[in-house]
Amino acid sequence: MKLHGSTDRTRKDEDLAEEIESHLAHEQDAQTARGASADEARRRARLRFGNPRTVRERVWRNRSVAWLDDAARDLRFALRSLARTPGFTAITLFVIAVGIGVNTAVFSVIDALLLKPLTYPDPQALVQIVLKTNQGPFAAASVPMFALWQQQSGIFEQVAAYDWGGSGANLTGGDQPEQVQAIHVSKDYFPLFGAPVLEGRTFTAAEDSPNGGRVTVLSYGLWKQRYGGDPKIVGTNIQIDGQPYQVVGVIGRGFVTDAPVDLWLPDQFDLNSHEMVVNFTAVARLKPGVSLAQANAQMKLVADQFRRAYGEHSLPPGGGFGIVSLQQFMVGDMRFPLLVLLGAVGFVLLIACANVANLLLARASARRRELATRAAIGAGRGQIIRQLLTESLALAVAGGFLGLVIGFLGLRLLLRINPGNIPRITETGAGVTLDPNILLFTLGVSVLTGILFGLIPAIAASRPNLAAALNEGSSRSGISFRQGRIRSILVVSEVALALVLVIGAALLIRTFRKLNDVDPGFTTHNVLTMTMSISGSRFQTTAPVAQVVREGQERLRALPGVLDAAASNCLPLYSNFGMGFDIVGRPKGNGPFTGGAGFYSITSGYFSSFGIPLLRGRVFTEHDDASSPWVAVINQAMARQYWPKGDPLNDRILIGAGAGPAFAEPPRQIIGIVGDTRNGSVEQEPGPMMYIPIAQMPDGETALNSTVAPLYWIVRTRENPYTARAPIEAALRQASSGLAVAHIRTMDEVEASNIGRQRFNMVLLTIFGLSGLLMAAIGVYGVMTYSVQQRTQEMGIRMALGAQAWNLRSLVIGQGMLLALLGVVVGLGGAFWLTRFLASFLFGVKAWDPMAFVATPLLLCLVALLAVWVPARRATKVDPMTALRLE
Amino acid sequence: MVLKRPPDAGDVLQGTLDMLILRTLVMGPAHGHTIAQVIESTSENALEVEQGSLYPALHRLEDRGWLASEWGVSENNRKAKFYRLTPRGRKELASATSRWRRMTRAIDLILGQETE
Repeated sequence: MKLHGSTDRTRKDEDLAEEIESHLAHEQDAQTARGASADEARRRARLRFGNPRTVRERVWRNRSVAWLDDAARDLRFALRSLARTPGFTAITLFVIAVGIGVNTAVFSVIDALLLKPLTYPDPQALVQIVLKTNQGPFAAASVPMFALWQQQSGIFEQVAAYDWGGSGANLTGGDQPEQVQAIHVSKDYFPLFGAPVLEGRTFTAAEDSPNGGRVTVLSYGLWKQRYGGDPKIVGTNIQIDGQPYQVVGVIGRGFVTDAPVDLWLPDQFDLNSHEMVVNFTAVARLKPGVSLAQANAQMKLVADQFRRAYGEHSLPPGGGFGIVSLQQFMVGDMRFPLLVLLGAVGFVLLIACANVANLLLARASARRRELATRAAIGAGRGQIIRQLLTESLALAVAGGFLGLVIGFLGLRLLLRINPGNIPRITETGAGVTLDPNILLFTLGVSVLTGILFGLIPAIAASRPNLAAALNEGSSRSGISFRQGRIRSILVVSEVALALVLVIGAALLIRTFRKLNDVDPGFTTHNVLTMTMSISGSRFQTTAPVAQVVREGQERLRALPGVLDAAASNCLPLYSNFGMGFDIVGRPKGNGPFTGGAGFYSITSGYFSSFGIPLLRGRVFTEHDDASSPWVAVINQAMARQYWPKGDPLNDRILIGAGAGPAFAEPPRQIIGIVGDTRNGSVEQEPGPMMYIPIAQMPDGETALNSTVAPLYWIVRTRENPYTARAPIEAALRQASSGLAVAHIRTMDEVEASNIGRQRFNMVLLTIFGLSGLLMAAIGVYGVMTYSVQQRTQEMGIRMALGAQAWNLRSLVIGQGMLLALLGVVVGLGGAFWLTRFLASFLFGVKAWDPMAFVATPLLLCLVALLAVWVPARRATKVDPMTALRLE
Repeated sequence: MVLKRPPDAGDVLQGTLDMLILRTLVMGPAHGHTIAQVIESTSENALEVEQGSLYPALHRLEDRGWLASEWGVSENNRKAKFYRLTPRGRKELASATSRWRRMTRAIDLILGQETE
């Protein structure tokens, strides 16, 4: 590498040399003219002129920016000297790059999730209103609650309601209906979140009241994709579920919602309603100066007020209202996992730093003689230190750059394995970018390591104790005691840190395997599921829904390759409704209901499609419809819990009595008991469940259902279900007179995404564990290799005195393994203490799982053994003659 | 006024040598040896130019654009690099001379008061 303009300077220097020659010649002429002999004249001329080289150097220096020049020379030299030891350079670069890359990628995710505030204006004031129950807080609300909360103008500036996920909606009016994500919101939703209005306006109070008309607000995405970004769309009508809706506004691109939304519809709540169903959620913006504690205290009073107005049973016993910071609510249970990841990241960074330090120390001690020689021929102390620092900095910067590349690729990879249910990471990974601050931080750490650990050996090496360093013996008498000890300590800590990481990873891998082995109570294989939105006015009673379901089932069953088909309002492992029930003829307890259970409305074929076993009685058939006696099927857990002695098949249950007029229905005869399934998540033990036929839903419930959940279709196929996808879609479109299906996925995929978060944690910690393991191995390898190199002479003497190859090998291996074992012991202690923090991530595995605590140290020792094997072999290859003769 | 460089001669002496070089070249282009000779002889040998410091000064002046140079043949029939004053060099000489005059006058005034 040449600094720009240095060729020009070289030319000018040659010019000057010639000029000086000319000057000397003239002076010589002058001296000759005064009568000196030719030799004398030349001597005098040279004497008068002085040293031409000094003159040239002065001119050269005058032309240069001194430090830049020195830096360029140092850099050139550093690169040359690094290139001379490609192995060292590659390993160090690798260590720095992995350390920086892994950290940057993970940090970026953590930063976007945990550290960045919500993307809404003044996010600290946003709170989630929750129902407090004995099972914990639920983000749920009913209309009377919402009405009451809205009146709390002493603590809230605004209160807004919106749907959780919604039932979806069908955009009609085009060639093909399209299923889109639509949610109902109250009028304050947009101002509360500070949504940027791109065109038109948001809902007015009049539009958000009963009979407020059919209006909608579009998202930026839908507006662009479906309507080509037409600026004149505001004021026009679009068809939703076959009805015209007037577009009143378009929201700008920057507006991020929890789950993606295509369009918004007004809630149009009747605030005087006594409908007790909790089927939406509410957030509020606190008044300036109101603290969370103050607001919570007020909400306690509001709950009392609610009980007085709607009866003691209107809230669960011991329950009440409360608020939680929205940010905390959203990232809630992610906080701890992410902090654990952060800890793991710190470990990897520490290992990387220890490794770099180790490599630099080893390199410096191997070069003591070279440095001493340079000092002896006149290099200043500063020059040597500067030179060594330039080398470490060059390494740090180059490694940092590689780290950036790894970080970028790593982030892509992380987002790809993101299970999709980590809040605020969208499926495209938007919102998570490589954070420049973090990059600077990690780069800073590595540069600091470079300087710090480059400086210690540099200062040591530049000590003017030349005689000792140059002295023959000391060049090969081994690493100086102190440096050797520092490096041994570094290696021991590396191994210890790596062991902790790998044990953590092993625990998570075991957890994931256990989760994978859990039997969810049904067959996930060869089952395709999809959603159909039944939100339109067409489906506000049960009969038309039952009609579509029956026809769809018939068409699906007729398809080749389809074994069975069914529909339901929930999907196991994905969604679950809960409902209270009473047993006819049995006295209720203190609560509003005898008990509560999961509540699925299904069709015939549901149990056979999922392979859920029938234990007693019978399951639903096509004949269990609105005209036949009302029936229910329960699961084994419900039978065990509520009929510990009696026979449930002799009893009738009353579902949802008192929950509101929409749920009024006659008692149902229990006709069968089926096997338990896991509905919430794989980790959750199955709870009590009741099933009813879709065709026997009360009309009011169907209407309510249609606004909060789509209809799920379940198709069991003989082969890979995706091969039958097109005919299935076509059949369902025909059966529903043109409705589209969406969210098509297999039950295997639903199950995989259910344990996606565990997989995410496992993969991350495994990456950390492996990179830690690799770096620890490099550390052990590096120390032993240098140690063998330094002791070549000693090895030679030992061989000359009759030591066998295996003597030498075991000498080296013994020394290396001692370091590794020390590290393992320290690491085991650390792991015993640290893995307790992992306990909440583990499933079916103890924090001190013997498998992990035995297998991992063994693995680490094995890797260490491999790492010392190579230098040990090298030790036995020493030729005694060369070793002894070497200088 | 000796141009043998004492350790901390600094810019004053350097600047003075620059001025003398520029002044010498007013008479016409000359090569380095001639310049040294002329400075020495016109100062009645009171100023002895350390020949080694002449060239750094010449090159510095050329880099600043006050001198231009080209190779030619000397009176001794030898190859030599001839320097000549550029218009900017002439201007610099004028301002350097007036600076010098002001300074020596000030020094004269002080010295005069003390001796007389």
